[in-house]
Amino acid sequence: MSERDIRLKLENLVKEFPERGGKGTVRAVDSISLNIYSGEFLTLLGPSGCGKTTTLRLIAGFEGPTSGQILLDGKDITPQPPNKRDMALVFQNYALFPHMSVFDNVGYGLQTRGMSRSDIRDKVEESLGLMGLKGLGDRRPNQLSGGQQQRVALARSLIMEPRILLFDEPLSNLDAKLRVQMRSEIHSLQRRLNITSIYVTHDQIEAMALSDRVVVMNGGQIEQIGSPEQIYRYPASRFVADFIGRANFVPVAIDSTNNGTAQINVLGRECQVPLQFDYRAGMDVVAMLRPEVLSLREDPTLQQVQIEQTMYLGSEVEYIVRSGEQTFVVAEKDPRLQKVYSEGGTVGLDYISEAVHLLPA
Amino acid sequence: MMKIGNYTLRWQMVLTILVLTVLCLVWIYPFLWMISASLKTQSEIFSSGLNLIPQEPQWQNYQRAWVDAQFSRYMINTVLITIGTVVLTIISTSLAGYVLGRYTFIGRRPFMALLAGTIFIPAGYTIIPTVDLANKLGLLNSLWGVILVMAGTGNVIHILLFSAYFSSLPKELEEAAVLDGAGFLTVFFRVMLPLAGPVVATVTILKFLGAWNNFFVPLVFTFSRPDLRTLSVGMFAFVGENETDWSGMAAAATISLIPVIIIFFVMQRRFVEGIAGAVKQ
Repeated sequence: MSERDIRLKLENLVKEFPERGGKGTVRAVDSISLNIYSGEFLTLLGPSGCGKTTTLRLIAGFEGPTSGQILLDGKDITPQPPNKRDMALVFQNYALFPHMSVFDNVGYGLQTRGMSRSDIRDKVEESLGLMGLKGLGDRRPNQLSGGQQQRVALARSLIMEPRILLFDEPLSNLDAKLRVQMRSEIHSLQRRLNITSIYVTHDQIEAMALSDRVVVMNGGQIEQIGSPEQIYRYPASRFVADFIGRANFVPVAIDSTNNGTAQINVLGRECQVPLQFDYRAGMDVVAMLRPEVLSLREDPTLQQVQIEQTMYLGSEVEYIVRSGEQTFVVAEKDPRLQKVYSEGGTVGLDYISEAVHLLPA
Repeated sequence: MMKIGNYTLRWQMVLTILVLTVLCLVWIYPFLWMISASLKTQSEIFSSGLNLIPQEPQWQNYQRAWVDAQFSRYMINTVLITIGTVVLTIISTSLAGYVLGRYTFIGRRPFMALLAGTIFIPAGYTIIPTVDLANKLGLLNSLWGVILVMAGTGNVIHILLFSAYFSSLPKELEEAAVLDGAGFLTVFFRVMLPLAGPVVATVTILKFLGAWNNFFVPLVFTFSRPDLRTLSVGMFAFVGENETDWSGMAAAATISLIPVIIIFFVMQRRFVEGIAGAVKQ
């Protein structure tokens, strides 16, 4: 994407908070630089305390950065208050005003902008219709289900036609089934309206399902930016590999490199793997194998492992297997078509060599 | 065991009920005596002993209090003063409580401690400078003077109640309003204050009682303007140099109590919620 398409630009953003009970400071956001493109759905993903929510609050204007700049469509908005930034935020707890009706909640922003009553009525009705809330305008938030409240929160944000829509873990208060449904609704709504969106979550499935790009954060810094596929298949660090999905790590040495591939020995078998980073022969690295890349076969030529646990999960069987000091997680799809091995048995451990990814040791 | 209809009561329970009934009667007896006295003649009050039933209800006692003793005028004064005091108190204490409960600023804790410390200053301690100030501002002998003095004093508990309540509300509510373009006062009056209904009710009742029954401030501030007296000050007029009109005073006291009882019953539920909510924090 070109510089022209950049909607929001974060430049060396730093946020420090005073240390609780001490005289020092804690750096919650550490020199983050990031471009968010027009119409893009970008997710800030990371564990608790990684700085993702602070970054979102800096973007929204609820916190001021210690240093750095925030540019919206090329204009520096760093000193601007939240209401001047033309952004809307969907909160984790929805933040609906409990003493107002659904209609008043959705129309509140338009009212503060001084829009006429009839225009507010038209826009609110349209917005409620878009969110499948027709006929619920007179209800109070506490008379709605969690999913309906979430839709009201979305309607309230969208009605302001913001340049950027921010989401702060909006699905975390919903039950698992509703979360999947709302995820799908947010996804299709964002695509339909083509609204630039920044989403904060610690749920990697949510991040992968919704996002054009995912920003994985750790310790206030960006660990990796990429599409969900890039992040999953080619994690830049052991942290990312471990945080996104599950992974098995095998320490290996690079025997040789040739034309963007490396020759390594994993689980007693020589293989060639594509190189994502600048590794050289003789370097110690870590081979990452996702559980679905591994499989169990009764083949004496393969590295033999002992099955410690067998878990039948319906669509797959998960095994915990041991080879010496190391344990592996193996996920075999569709157990109806494969043999299910019993705990305590010994079996060969196979893998798809093309799916092996090398990480720094 | 004792059987009453479908209920079987244990003797301990019966004993408890009896003791509590006696306690309740002792508790409300003065109130019942006052109503009874308001319907008796002056001599009957002292001759009938503990008997609460008047021989013949003397409704003219109420007429004497309402018309002759000008309680109709005092009632209007009291209502105006009480409403003014309550409204001003709600606005000032809720705003102060909001800032103390929601905002962090240098010196907040020492300020709160200082504020709490003023609870121990006796009420009459500040009356001389207050009267002096009111006099210089031209507020002495005016209803506004009484309202401002009563609305400006004795509010620490109310501020702390509001502060505790506001600090318990999620900050996202304010942030959502701010993002929608609301300024400080809009956020406060449209979003935060309506949510503090239980505390508003609590403070309203507490301040209402304080203002309605206040004797000292209206007495001092209406010293040379009898027409501005309140019910509690007006009650004093029944005490003569040589004799006291007890039945008229009882009728006047009953008149002044009726609005208090009505307001308590109307706001009772919210009052309890407000106290419970504040304590829970």
